[in-house]
Amino acid sequence: METDLLIIGGGPAGLHAALTADRAGARVVVADESFSLGGQLRQQTQWLSNLPGQYGYGKKRGTWVNEQLINQVGASNVQVLKKHTMIGSYLNGNIGVSDGDKTFEIQSRKNIIAPGAQEEAKVFPGWTLPGVMTAGAAQILINREKVLPGKRAVMVGSNDFSLEVARQLNSCGITVEAIVEEKNQIICSDGELVKTLENVPVYTNSTIEIVTGAGEVEHVVIQTPDGLKEVNVDLVCIANGFSPILEPFEIMNCHFVYQKELGGWLAAYNIHLQTTNPSCYIAGNAAGITDFGSILLTGEIAALSALEAMGFISSAEGTEQKSRCWRELANLESEKVLQARTEMLADYHQKHELDLPDYFMKIKGGKMYG
Amino acid sequence: MHISEHPVLKEKSNEKVFFYFNNHRLEAKKGQTVAAALMANGIRKLGVSRKLSQPRGLYCSNGRCTSCFVTINGLDHVISCTTLVENNMQVFSNNNDPEIRGEKYGN
Amino acid sequence: MDKSTIVCRCEEINVDEIETAMKNGAETFDDIKRLTRCGMGPCQSKTCLNPVREIIAEYTGKPLADIRISRMRMPLKLVRMSALTNGSEGGNVASVFGESVEDGETNDE
Ligand SMILES: Cc1cc2nc3c(=O)[nH]c(=O)nc-3n(C[C@H](O)[C@H](O)[C@H](O)COP(=O)(O)OP(=O)(O)OC[C@H]3O[C@@H](n4cnc5c(N)ncnc54)[C@H](O)[C@@H]3O)c2cc1C
Ligand code: FES
Repeated sequence: METDLLIIGGGPAGLHAALTADRAGARVVVADESFSLGGQLRQQTQWLSNLPGQYGYGKKRGTWVNEQLINQVGASNVQVLKKHTMIGSYLNGNIGVSDGDKTFEIQSRKNIIAPGAQEEAKVFPGWTLPGVMTAGAAQILINREKVLPGKRAVMVGSNDFSLEVARQLNSCGITVEAIVEEKNQIICSDGELVKTLENVPVYTNSTIEIVTGAGEVEHVVIQTPDGLKEVNVDLVCIANGFSPILEPFEIMNCHFVYQKELGGWLAAYNIHLQTTNPSCYIAGNAAGITDFGSILLTGEIAALSALEAMGFISSAEGTEQKSRCWRELANLESEKVLQARTEMLADYHQKHELDLPDYFMKIKGGKMYG
Repeated sequence: MHISEHPVLKEKSNEKVFFYFNNHRLEAKKGQTVAAALMANGIRKLGVSRKLSQPRGLYCSNGRCTSCFVTINGLDHVISCTTLVENNMQVFSNNNDPEIRGEKYGN
Repeated sequence: MDKSTIVCRCEEINVDEIETAMKNGAETFDDIKRLTRCGMGPCQSKTCLNPVREIIAEYTGKPLADIRISRMRMPLKLVRMSALTNGSEGGNVASVFGESVEDGETNDE
């Protein structure tokens, strides 16, 4: 198989990149390991704000945005390969994918790798029992599969995502018996969200002592400052944050950097979202854990860079479009993440003796364009 | 348990699928994964771990942790959280490592 | 935490086994992997990567930023032998044994 641009991952970042490249006339293939497109957006029923203005999405539910993206891809010339997993690379630099029956290489001029993020584990005695799952898994079960993962739950972690999932579980009829946070206060920054859960006991400075049960979760012991607290539940959700997915980049020989605020280790990239492998660009949560608007915009920047490198758009147009995207990203992205991102970019450009475009100084401080 | 009335999402498919788990006939909805279909039937233990034979079930629901292995239509170690359930599927719990040195394989 | 707590779900390696590997000289995730099989099961350390890094950080007193990730190799995801051979056009796959060739080389920026 042969194409101009191969995109690995059909989540919002990959799909938005695909649409950008398709509009400029490039031949695009999107390969995703799942049976449907949309990645982690498929089960996000909550409202997304901070959407880039140009999309006209306003404040919309994640699942609604997902449908829009998929419909647009369906109406485009983008070739979609579902149930196709990137499993390796060939000596000539091409990516190898498998559909479960056979393995083949896709010859492409450029690649965008957008595999998203994974949820971080939290290790405690009994975390391997059926009924202990990531908060994201529970969210998939209720919103995508329409199945209840349990009746009574304990949520481990109190970040925005934990509380959002706790709220969603609650609204499906699952009683959240406890939120367990090892820090000394709730991490969630969304006061409204915290309020919707005000009847749920929150244990701070606390950890899971043990989860037990015959064959599946039945009983949880929580270590609190006031001693052990026991609850009978059948579901334990772990929400310990996200980290960028790494393995496709390692196989493409991309170099890695560590940036705590971007989620830990990730493939290093320059302001064009290009990794140390010149034919591989990066986008979405894989390029740093961030909010939804920035996920779309990194997809767009990666696509614009690939288009420019392949000659589908002029370098003047590439620069203009990318400076618009970065400006918008600087306005949308949380300050901490933006700062980490620009720090990483500056380091990268210095190390590789690459010039930074003029617009970089304007995004660096963030929110310069108001 | 199936969610019959979702607080946000309108039900799209109610088409039924019938499949088997350890030879018991079970009902699922079209479009569900095998792991979710089993969970809807109250089955969360999908197999046991390879060394200590401890119970295992769905953990990440994203095809990354391999905790949800089952045997489907004779194929061992199938990731059930990313495989859609189909009519007449024969699903068995994952109780051992696959036999690769047996006679069947000429070893 | 209870030292018998499992960290690697696939190979069922617990905290104690990881610390013992470090007492015996293991310094990196890959050292621990070679000594214990931690991270060598079907998920290929996708789940235990950071929990193990945290144990290394705590044991050595080094910051997490200094604890490298494990070496990941092909195939990236579970794939059947038959699917690997079907339709593949010969031996031009980047070596599965890349690590032994480039030993000591890391992908750090
Ligand atoms: C479990 C979970 C829950 C989340 N919940 C929220 C939330 O509630 N609110 C919020 O704002 N954000 C949430 N996020 C963030 C969410 O990830 C983003 O909103 C967005 O979906 C990320 O887009 P993406 O395109 O970068 O990655 P993803 O949406 O993760 O898409 C990546 C795609 O790549 C595919 N893929 C991965 N590896 C391969 C491979 N080797 N070969 C082929 N295909 C591959 C995957 O199948 C997937 O479809 C969540 C993230 C996760 C992981
Ligand atoms: S639950 Fe993790 S792979 Fe299926």
